[in-house]
Amino acid sequence: MQRVAYYTGCLAALSAKELNTSTKALAPKLGLELVELESVTCCGAGDIHEAEPDYYLHLNARILAYAEETGCETLMTICNVCTLNLRQANWQLKNDEELRARVNQNLETVGVPPYSGNVDVRHLLWLIAEGDGYERLKDAAHKGLKGLRIAPFYGCQILRPSKILGFEDPDRPWSLEAIIQACGGEPIDYPAKIKCCGFPIIQAREEVALSELIQPIEQAQEAGADAMVTPCPLCHLSLDAWQLKLRKATGKDFQMPILHLSQLIGVAAGLEESELKFKRHVVSVDPVTSKLEV
Amino acid sequence: MDAPEWACLLDVLDLIKDKHDGTLAYRKSCRMMICGSCGMRMDGRAVLACKERMKPIVDAGHVPVISAMGNMPVLKDLVVDMSPFWGKIRSVKPWLDPGYDEVAEKERIVSQQQMNVIHKEALCIMCGCCVSECNSMEADPDFMGPAALAKGFRFVGDARDQADVERLNTLNEEHGIWDCTRCYFCNERCPKGVDPRDAIAKLGAESVKQGVDHDMGAKHAKWFIRSTETTGWLRETELVPKTQGIIEAIKQTGFALKLARKGKVPPPFPPHVAADVKEARALRELVGEQGRDGALGIVQGEHALGRIEFTEEAGARENAPEIQPGVEPPPAEG
Repeated sequence: MQRVAYYTGCLAALSAKELNTSTKALAPKLGLELVELESVTCCGAGDIHEAEPDYYLHLNARILAYAEETGCETLMTICNVCTLNLRQANWQLKNDEELRARVNQNLETVGVPPYSGNVDVRHLLWLIAEGDGYERLKDAAHKGLKGLRIAPFYGCQILRPSKILGFEDPDRPWSLEAIIQACGGEPIDYPAKIKCCGFPIIQAREEVALSELIQPIEQAQEAGADAMVTPCPLCHLSLDAWQLKLRKATGKDFQMPILHLSQLIGVAAGLEESELKFKRHVVSVDPVTSKLEV
Repeated sequence: MDAPEWACLLDVLDLIKDKHDGTLAYRKSCRMMICGSCGMRMDGRAVLACKERMKPIVDAGHVPVISAMGNMPVLKDLVVDMSPFWGKIRSVKPWLDPGYDEVAEKERIVSQQQMNVIHKEALCIMCGCCVSECNSMEADPDFMGPAALAKGFRFVGDARDQADVERLNTLNEEHGIWDCTRCYFCNERCPKGVDPRDAIAKLGAESVKQGVDHDMGAKHAKWFIRSTETTGWLRETELVPKTQGIIEAIKQTGFALKLARKGKVPPPFPPHVAADVKEARALRELVGEQGRDGALGIVQGEHALGRIEFTEEAGARENAPEIQPGVEPPPAEG
């Protein structure tokens, strides 16, 4: 078992509880022991980086410090935005001693342990797309997906900026496809899989956001996908919940089930509905579950 | 097509035009990543033709597809109409407004530290690569876009410019900074390391610092701050009224009810509270007194971020001298 500090982020504890329950149920099957963090806060979601960037840096340093305190080398994320925010702050703190010294002094002043720079921030996707994690995944996904056609949707902040994320070619990613295949599904290809779902501006600029959102859903539907899968709960909320608004705005009858990464693998690994919580989805997942006879 | 080993994409285009098809249209001038003329797409990615070496691509047996940049109308072959691009650049008033008309008697010295704030944005060669794949501009052609906004910060961040608030008010309008969807294609594509998305974030930070925070985007961002100070985690359900105002939020009731039925509207009470959240509150108070607010909060991290390429990728640049932002130059003679 690999011990990893587990950063749920906001949504998995709030509107996307199904992501948290399915991740926790799946982790042991993938050889991951999740160490929960009590004292951590929101990473700022790019919003605090944009409004009060010095506070953003300190908030993320605090998360990294508490992750380091667990003795785990890896802080596992399950959200694209958390991944970018934490990796960016981590790189800055690891590679600028002067900056780290100042931040640590501030952390200690308010009673937070200082951060030494010994944590690596990695998304669940990366832990299971290669190496030991991938081998375990192939064993865990014993029930398979019966050739279900799955459209991978990466979203933005797990690919770009690649100098901070750096796991795979941001224009030709492969990790979700590898996982879909290992689970017995058929990955389908479409251009918008690496584009934006519109979520960051879905409240402030809904019309613009919906014009972005329609691309992946429409393309996946036209390519004959049975469902889409995403490693990001913000993309999930946008693709799933705002699909309602997309229907209304366009008059098109979109019915695309959207799965969290942990749910897709979870189905193939035989997790229970109490862990998958498909009932919490806005767009029904029934077409998927009935094909799989879950 | 035979080309020498050292050929870049632009050399290959020159050969094609010379030997095969004289009608092939593309822009070029300096051949050394300074003029910004030869922006185009290779396999769907916006690149400068003079920067892309072709040997590794040929060695890999790959035949790349070359096309015109996106988000701008194609005039012919690889030439796009950049007039909307220039219109947006012009709209940010890309010239210094020092707040005086008369030339002063003494030279006004600007420190290296002050110029480092806009170092990255000043590298822009206006090639359009950042605009080519901009997702917000694809959805809204009127979006000012990464190049113009980075240019905007180049002047907002300039210590000599006295029109900050006026500029920020313009940049906060519809189609301005809060329309950026944070897809980060601009940072990925920029051939000069400008990182336009970071420049947009700097403008957001300066706006909030200067109290230009009336836009829904700014209100959205401020609610995240409030959330981390009070519960630690995002107070998700209150985000809509805090961003859009009560009246707009009421209009969304139908949608909210549909989401609520699926548990997608977590009740604000009891709140989901992180342990020791008072530490976050104390941190914000503490850093608020340390003078690194606004864009400086992002600029301070650039020293470390600038080292990624030096240490990980470009081996030949490993021995390049390190630039130390924040170091004061010796005082000017006389």
